[in-house]
Amino acid sequence: MPRASGKGYRQRPLRRYGFFIAIAGLLALLLLQTSPRLSEGVEPIRTAASDQLFHVTRPSLIDRISGVSAKERQILELEARVRELAQYKALALTMAERMEVYEDILNMQGEPGGAEVTARIMAETDGPFAEALLANAGATNGVQEGYYAENDRGLVGRVVQVGNRSSRILKVTDFNSRVPVMGEASGLRAIMFGGRDGLGRLTDLPEQGDFLPNERILTSGEGGLFPRGVVVGHVRGKTEKEVRVDLSMLTGQLSYVRLKPTITVPTPEAFPVETEVADLGEEDGS
Amino acid sequence: MNGVSGIPDWLAMRWESARPRSRLIIGTIVVAIIGLVGLTPKTFFGVPLAWPYVGLIAAVGWGRSGLGFGPMVFLLVFGFAQDASQAPWGSHGLANLLAYGLSAQVSQMVDTERTPLLSFALPVVTLFFGITLVWMAASISSGHLVRITPMLTAYFATLVAHMLVSPLFDLRSHRRMASGAAG
Repeated sequence: MPRASGKGYRQRPLRRYGFFIAIAGLLALLLLQTSPRLSEGVEPIRTAASDQLFHVTRPSLIDRISGVSAKERQILELEARVRELAQYKALALTMAERMEVYEDILNMQGEPGGAEVTARIMAETDGPFAEALLANAGATNGVQEGYYAENDRGLVGRVVQVGNRSSRILKVTDFNSRVPVMGEASGLRAIMFGGRDGLGRLTDLPEQGDFLPNERILTSGEGGLFPRGVVVGHVRGKTEKEVRVDLSMLTGQLSYVRLKPTITVPTPEAFPVETEVADLGEEDGS
Repeated sequence: MNGVSGIPDWLAMRWESARPRSRLIIGTIVVAIIGLVGLTPKTFFGVPLAWPYVGLIAAVGWGRSGLGFGPMVFLLVFGFAQDASQAPWGSHGLANLLAYGLSAQVSQMVDTERTPLLSFALPVVTLFFGITLVWMAASISSGHLVRITPMLTAYFATLVAHMLVSPLFDLRSHRRMASGAAG
């Protein structure tokens, strides 16, 4: 239905002029942009405007509220870490292969392997030792006395008693346990025993040199009770008389342990060289 | 509740008593929010969603109350904000202003409140006019005819959005809001 008159329309000539001026201005602006030089000149303005606008809207409001953007960021970070770790894994495999080759070249006797058993910890026993664990693997599983136990973080203890289906492990936290250890960086040797506070203590410290703060403590392999290089813990602090060690195995789970054999090196007398005996026999005969 | 639009009565009353300038500011905020959300990637189960040209909705709604400097300035600003996404400067502003002018012209010449068909047809035609202007600007600036399908989906999205939010762009005062669709 037509209106009676365009009254309001005619009453606003100034606004009409403003409207047409704005239209003309926009058309002129559009035409000016056909010039490549002018177009290049306004591009920085467009870039700055786009940056500001898209900065405000990224990540989107919905994503911020739902937490999707945070999760996506976390996934991206984790993916980056996985890629980085994959590089380290490839490097480690390469280095392990090279080490095998070098050991072959040098004819070096490395740490021998043996049958390993994963056992579940059934209980902490009240046997002859205060700090002992009972594992559900025994002689029928191939476990022998002298096997050492470790979890995902480090050395747990040593098998001191073996039954057919179970074995008892003396934990390194026990006062009676003695573990020959060394500092990873300093190379200093000592003997570690357990304390009541759950920390390890180093005794028989060398007269020369000190363990470094926070240094990693590994088994030294001396005495043949443990192989060399098993992680025990790291130096927590030291006094004039003793060095205390944070045990790594306490930071991991103790539900399952890996029981591994320690290959003891036989004395020369146990296996004398037969050729020498034969040579001596020949000499006697002559 | 307001029968058609579903707006509570107290809110409709409050809106009726609000000044045109307040309504203009509220409409501007709505345009800014919808426009900013529109800049973000939007997919629904992997399907990209069309987003309405909310500047055109504002142009059609504000145009019903005749020409005014305030709406013109805001429409120009909206246009420049839209142009930031690689459109020639002034193209969206031109579309917004021309749609605004068309809406104002038709509303001044014809009493759309008393002709329901026209009150329905006005936004349909005006929004189509605005979208066509944007399409023409894009085609001229790129040197070839750009695809029509995205423009059509954007047009329908704009129509649907217009039905939902058009009452927020009504600057006419002292009048009971008749419905949510026509505003």
